[in-house]
Amino acid sequence: MAQTSVILIWLAYLLYAAAFAVFLIGFFTQRPWMNRLGLIVAAAGLVAQTLGLILRGVDAGRFPFVGLYESLVLVAWAIVLVWHVLESFTKIKAVGLYVMPVVLVLLTIALISYDPPQDMVPALRSDIVVVHVIVMLVAIGCLYVAGGAAIIYLIEERLLHRRKTGGVLGRLPSLAALERLIYHATLLGLPFLTMGMAAGVIRAETFKVPDWATDPMVLLSGAAWVVYLVLIAGRVRGDWSGRAVSWLAVAGLVLLLVIRFAAVPYLSGFHTYGG
Amino acid sequence: MHVVVAGISHKTASLELRERLALDEDAALRLSQELLDEGVACEVVALSTCNRTELYLYARDSLAARQAALQRLARHAGVEQGELEPSLYSYSGDGAISHLFRVTSSLDSMVVGEAQIVAQLKAAYQMACDGGCTAVVFNRLFRHALEVGKRVRTETAIGERPVSVSSAAVELALQVFGKLRDHTVLIVGAGETSELTATHLKAHGIEKILVANRTLDTSMELAHRVGGEAVRFEDLEGHLSRADIVISSTSAPHYVITRETVERAFKHRKHRPMFLIDIAVPRDLDPEINRVRDAYLYDIDDLQHVVEHNRHEREKDAAHAERIVEQELASMNEWLRSLEVVPTIAMLREAVEDIRRSELSRLGNRLGDLTEDQRARVDMLTTSIVNKILHVPTVKMKEVAGRDQCYLYVDAVRTLFDLETGEEGEAPAAEADRGEEAPGEAPATPGEAPAQPAPPSTTAQPPQTEEPPAPSAGGTVHHLRGTGTEDA
Repeated sequence: MAQTSVILIWLAYLLYAAAFAVFLIGFFTQRPWMNRLGLIVAAAGLVAQTLGLILRGVDAGRFPFVGLYESLVLVAWAIVLVWHVLESFTKIKAVGLYVMPVVLVLLTIALISYDPPQDMVPALRSDIVVVHVIVMLVAIGCLYVAGGAAIIYLIEERLLHRRKTGGVLGRLPSLAALERLIYHATLLGLPFLTMGMAAGVIRAETFKVPDWATDPMVLLSGAAWVVYLVLIAGRVRGDWSGRAVSWLAVAGLVLLLVIRFAAVPYLSGFHTYGG
Repeated sequence: MHVVVAGISHKTASLELRERLALDEDAALRLSQELLDEGVACEVVALSTCNRTELYLYARDSLAARQAALQRLARHAGVEQGELEPSLYSYSGDGAISHLFRVTSSLDSMVVGEAQIVAQLKAAYQMACDGGCTAVVFNRLFRHALEVGKRVRTETAIGERPVSVSSAAVELALQVFGKLRDHTVLIVGAGETSELTATHLKAHGIEKILVANRTLDTSMELAHRVGGEAVRFEDLEGHLSRADIVISSTSAPHYVITRETVERAFKHRKHRPMFLIDIAVPRDLDPEINRVRDAYLYDIDDLQHVVEHNRHEREKDAAHAERIVEQELASMNEWLRSLEVVPTIAMLREAVEDIRRSELSRLGNRLGDLTEDQRARVDMLTTSIVNKILHVPTVKMKEVAGRDQCYLYVDAVRTLFDLETGEEGEAPAAEADRGEEAPGEAPATPGEAPAQPAPPSTTAQPPQTEEPPAPSAGGTVHHLRGTGTEDA
């Protein structure tokens, strides 16, 4: 079963790569049906990845979030899922151009550092940890998509200002649509981030983790939370331009990436993926 | 038999003439019926849109069909034939089919890539079909044409790129604002391009149009035409903060709107972006405006640049679309060729001969005790039965070959015996066949130029040339298809 799971994850990886290629070709040749095809291929990848994750979970006899491999596959899965959900609501093109490479990078790291299912360290054996992980996955999926839309927004905005329209017209979504996507994705992601952080705090308090409040990871998470709150508040009040909203979303994204790839493995005293 | 089209379009006729020739549903159907009753054509579809009026005919004599179409159209419009003649174009055979495909692909439209034509053609065909004016060929041809239109639109981005200054301005505005509902446009100065742009914006659902001109009368006039509101030129600055899109085309020698003005306007509109288009020469809008954070300024050169780029892209798309049309023409032709009598007889004989041979070889083992001589006689006997059975249909088909409706018989035979043309590879063989046996009469004469009122060219041959000699199965390779029929 372990083998089937890995094969499925690889299959998903290849399908995402194919979807990315389709998006790229579609972007350059402007074939309207290419975007749809890319979405379908990516959806097939999502199905394969879901099955792969389920098998992995069955194999390990627990929710598959332990260790670098599982956690990255899980995050990639959440991003693709959230992207598909948002896509079906907003019908916005070109976001796949950003989402796919991010997912591919995450999966590449995961597949390189593949490890067989391992036992959970005692610290992770807790229902609140599972809640924390699931809620955080949704949050991260949303906020990564928001960050991607923000990057596209900033590039497009610059191109329009410089009147370099060749790569923009008919290829990228309108600025307004991107800005809405950033807002909605953040609006969806922030409550989950809040809940996830609350679950983390509850966990730390119950188990009396020493000095958790001053841990670099916690501080950075708090900062990211503030950034997203400012984004939402400013946007609702109409204080922010689309560019400001985008910069905030990008800042939040950078914080999230720093937390995952720097703070957690190297700086944090207690947060662990069990690996 | 030829597919023939005769008509006028925005390329050949003035609006006035097009208006007079426009056919409403009843007129279109009546005209088609008349042509059918007269025996000029076997199938007729009349297409009438604001940019074209065309009659599609399936006829034996392309020149006679053209002449009849001209006559009918002239009578309908109440103009002299001689008056209509110079504006009338007509094609037959390949030319007509590819014209139809180009029309559905909107390659022939006033605005290349516009999508309306597909629906219009569909309606025209549907009406003709319901009115009993179409049969085997046009049912197939028009459905095929609609498919071609669809294919061109999914495989190319034709029509998705603006190629005029005003539509490029709208496209850019859409790129910034997404939807134009709930947005306001301010028109400064009453130029032609700004009016055109406003009309385009209106078509995209813009909510409010404000018009400011130095003379209030002119702005009121323009406001009335585009369904907007005239505002006083002196209050320009006040209205600027309400405007999401600004189009300026005054003849002022200096900047009408400066960076400072725009900056002040932004104090009231927070960070909602503003899109400014300067189509005036000399420029109305200070180029420095583009440095204001949420303002996007495009002048006439920028728009021209977009248009240039798009035109280039569109040419590529159009070339791609033309290739699609060519491919589809080839596949349509292949089918049309199958409606000819000679290859069909050959196919029929081949199919029956196949059955005979396979039955014989199936029986081979059980005839084991027959001598060579007896076997030869069985062979002869079966051959003679086959020949006898096929004799009458063969003769009858050759008889009808000279008639207009012969293709209906051919279609029936093909359906009844489930005959299908094989791979494309056989096409040249079939052509060679025809080349020897029935010169001059082809269902689709390649490369035929628009028929001119001049004396008949080689394409309009008397019907008797259709009468072919006995078919030889050797020239063409056909096979009996196991399942289904095509468009029965």
